Amino acid sequence: MPIGAEAYRPVKPSAELSCGDIAYLTLSRTREAGESPPGDVYDPVGRVPAYPAPATLALAHGREVALDTMFALVVTHSCEIDRQKNRGADEGHWDCRLTVAPIVSEPRVRFGAGAAAEAASWDAIATNAPVASLYLPAVADLSAIDPELPAMPWPRAFADLRGLSTVSRRMVGADRLMGLSPDYLGILQRQMVRFFVWREVARHDQVEAMVGRRILSAIPANAKGDRLAVALTADDGSSITVEWLLG
Amino acid sequence: MQTALTGLIKERGQTYASIAHRTGLQARTVRMIATGETPIDRVAVGTVRQIAAALGVTAAELIEPVLPQPGDPAVSRSDRLAHAIREVMWGTAAPGAYPSPVESSDDPLDDPLARADPADFFAGTKAIDADRG
Repeated sequence: MPIGAEAYRPVKPSAELSCGDIAYLTLSRTREAGESPPGDVYDPVGRVPAYPAPATLALAHGREVALDTMFALVVTHSCEIDRQKNRGADEGHWDCRLTVAPIVSEPRVRFGAGAAAEAASWDAIATNAPVASLYLPAVADLSAIDPELPAMPWPRAFADLRGLSTVSRRMVGADRLMGLSPDYLGILQRQMVRFFVWREVARHDQVEAMVGRRILSAIPANAKGDRLAVALTADDGSSITVEWLLG
Repeated sequence: MQTALTGLIKERGQTYASIAHRTGLQARTVRMIATGETPIDRVAVGTVRQIAAALGVTAAELIEPVLPQPGDPAVSRSDRLAHAIREVMWGTAAPGAYPSPVESSDDPLDDPLARADPADFFAGTKAIDADRG
């Protein structure tokens, strides 16, 4: 697994947009006025600390749009991005929506459970163990990736899949910094599947709940040693992952 | 929200109450400015100077840096990105609390799916909706 600058690739401003692009963007989230993700316990003011200087736009009925200006990672599949173009649609009618995940950097956040827990959290993030994050390694000098930038480091960070939102193609195109390398895109795709579909191996009660149901699909996830992980989807739409001992 | 004032108060071992005492402002007012509930650019210049004096810094040090907005045509792309990396990714204020993506106290490294190589993870999965490519 790439652990440093090899996780990234240069992206020319004129290059096609693709999954894994990292850009400086304004992200929006709608909420009732006064709602405060991720919760009072973290921020009594109602702002997300890692998302600096949010602006708000009032909506009717006590609702609002919070706008966060920050770096984000495109997670929309490249094939989906190219779809209208490949079908010959007029550029003015290409679907503008790109799904992006906000990028949270280590220098801007504290997880709040002490130095040891903080280090353990980052150790887990760095191995992409959590389903809700994609680790983004530090880069000692970004000018090696983008010669137009001054020599400056990029801190280690993670893309937070809990904060997905959509932005337009042109917004991503205007302020792209770099992209994920082909190898690391595979890790992003695996994380997306884990986040939305496959979680950890099911608990016993989840397996019990599937007894009597017809299994519609069984997809082998991976085999390690004498164990085979298989994702099962039942006829009621429920899905679990189980491990089989081989041999 | 972490502001320049929040960082300076912590850095100098002060509290909202101590700043309030030295400036004659209400502690609630200081807190609202420090947390960003009252943006610093809406605070009277005299008040900003009072707080700065109480902290022993210049008023300019309390002003949040202006962040170039994405797509701002007045700033070159490389300048926008360089400034944003410094301000957004690194920042100057103290880090803020944030919920860790690590969800449980279980050993997160014990999840076989997390260790799966993508080639193995997607092995056997058929290409779907090929005409989207």
